[in-house]
Amino acid sequence: MAAAARYLIRLVPHLWAIALTCIMILPPRSATHTAVSVEAVQFTIQSAYAEMRVGIDPSAPPFAAFSGESVVGFDVDLARALGALYGVPVRFVYLGYDGLYDALLTGQVDLLIASLTPDTNRLNRVIFTPPYFDAGIVLIAPVERMIRSMADVDGKQLAYAFGSNAHSEANLWSRRLRTFQPMPYESAQYALDAVRLGFADAALVDAVSGRMYARQHPAWLHHTQSVYALPYVIAVDADQVGLAAAVTAALERFQADGTLDALLHRWL
Amino acid sequence: MITFLYTGLQMLRRHWYWAARAAAAAVLLTSLIPAPPRASLGDVQRVETEKPHVCVHTRLTEEVDEWKIRQSLDYVREMGAGTIVEFFPWAYLEPADDVYNWQIADRIVRHAQNQGVRIIARMGFVPAWARITEDAAATTFNTLPPEAYPLFADFLAAFASRYAGAVDHLIIWNEPNLAFEWGYQTVDPRAYTAMLRTVYPAIKAANPHSVVLAAALAPTLEPPGSPHGLDDLLYLQAMYEHGAADWFDALAIHTYGFIHSAGDAPAAERLNFRRAELLRAIMTEHDDAAAPAYITETGWNDSPRWANAVSPSLRIQHTLAALELAESWEWLEAMCLWVFRYAVPTFSYPDYFTLVSVDFERKPIYFAVQAYARGQARAEDLWLPPPGT
Repeated sequence: MAAAARYLIRLVPHLWAIALTCIMILPPRSATHTAVSVEAVQFTIQSAYAEMRVGIDPSAPPFAAFSGESVVGFDVDLARALGALYGVPVRFVYLGYDGLYDALLTGQVDLLIASLTPDTNRLNRVIFTPPYFDAGIVLIAPVERMIRSMADVDGKQLAYAFGSNAHSEANLWSRRLRTFQPMPYESAQYALDAVRLGFADAALVDAVSGRMYARQHPAWLHHTQSVYALPYVIAVDADQVGLAAAVTAALERFQADGTLDALLHRWL
Repeated sequence: MITFLYTGLQMLRRHWYWAARAAAAAVLLTSLIPAPPRASLGDVQRVETEKPHVCVHTRLTEEVDEWKIRQSLDYVREMGAGTIVEFFPWAYLEPADDVYNWQIADRIVRHAQNQGVRIIARMGFVPAWARITEDAAATTFNTLPPEAYPLFADFLAAFASRYAGAVDHLIIWNEPNLAFEWGYQTVDPRAYTAMLRTVYPAIKAANPHSVVLAAALAPTLEPPGSPHGLDDLLYLQAMYEHGAADWFDALAIHTYGFIHSAGDAPAAERLNFRRAELLRAIMTEHDDAAAPAYITETGWNDSPRWANAVSPSLRIQHTLAALELAESWEWLEAMCLWVFRYAVPTFSYPDYFTLVSVDFERKPIYFAVQAYARGQARAEDLWLPPPGT
């Protein structure tokens, strides 16, 4: 016992090194971690915002698009869910892509929900929330083909839409694999048709096209593997730290309670 | 503060030897920092093309690395485009009143001249010091109060004078019929005409050979009174009614195909490529047929997500058809495709207007335009037929 105590005393001068080691091996703080809960900021948001002005680009179905006189889509429903959570009415401001950030930074809107991807060049003036959707490129193949990665495509037939981002990715793969047969089609729909009908082994398409196709063919058993991510996020003026925290807290809530999943299934 | 400085000087006097050694070490360490990559001009080139109206809008001002400017212009020349439209932001070039920094513009002009590519300069982007207004915080880079028009004229004169012979075509402003491009104020053809009236004589005095282009208007159907902007046809009509004809030499035109083919018939309530013909008709109606037009932005978008986009294959077909149509318009000097390449991606549908990706991958449409400029037949069988047919 005494020997153990002496040993521990001998360690005291090295406590700083032990502490440093512990800090280094601890898992990093999650990027999505937020210090606030919905309940904690609800009153502040209700006091500060008589309404929530949401900048939206109504030219991006199924996220936001005109349906008659009104705009509908995933982004629209997400904004409404946000307003409902905090008890604040939502007013949509329709903007083209070119005007989105200017409208945010000149205070014409409080936040942007417009299929935006984080832009590192704007981080000094804009806070981007954690993602609510991944619109990146995916590899889709029938379940039985066991194609899960680029390496699995070696020697196989790969379908994609001519001129698309998936085409660019396929060009990269062609430099990394020994051989595969590229099969460019006029659209992602045709590329996926080719896989489903057995003309190709796998398809590279954007995630939205993949999900929309799967909705049309619910009986088709296929595996979808993300190739690279393209996260959709909400943008808030960097001066509105409280609002950004509130939106982040809301997204975490929507992730946990299934709201985001329900919206996904509704629109994609 | 004085005490602090005094103490510092005393320390320096006492330890001057160590201070000198530290300074020497700092100089040595600084020399270890690798120099930024430089881009030599290379051999003088010229554009070989059978279609001199082929032009492309570049975004070279945003480039940090000079080699990317050279690489871009190299690709522009190889594509067979003899002209580019490039944006020269006032705020970058005159960061303070009467204080100029031409470095960004110089390197673009230098490389373009070396590649044999003509530049049409788009001018705008107001520095903060020129936004003379009570509520400066509410202004944007597109806010220019009428009291500041003479400041803009001074800048344009300085630009025109410096680059006379190298850049003779200047577009004054961009899409002033959109509220966003007019500092989120109500769009005002009379005010824009006043801007032209202020800057035109200054530019001509600085470079008599300059060609002043009235700003291209955004293709839009916004009705009078809309907070977003005004229909481009109505706006141009109003410009002429306010006497703009005397204050520009040529008209810049923005016309996009959106989801329509190149041949889709023009109509006042329709946004398509041939809307350019309606703008031209307004010029003719106002006895301004002698003034040529330049399509400084056009094209189709092939984003899989944008409602106004077409497939990549249709984009190629429509673009080539538009180039052929534009060649037949004797009043048109150039047809500039939007956009050659971005320095950084937007990660949104604007990326799908590009001909070359951020990492310099040339897209299929690049090669299609190149083949057209070379007078080659269109490539067939670029994609497979629908499966099962």
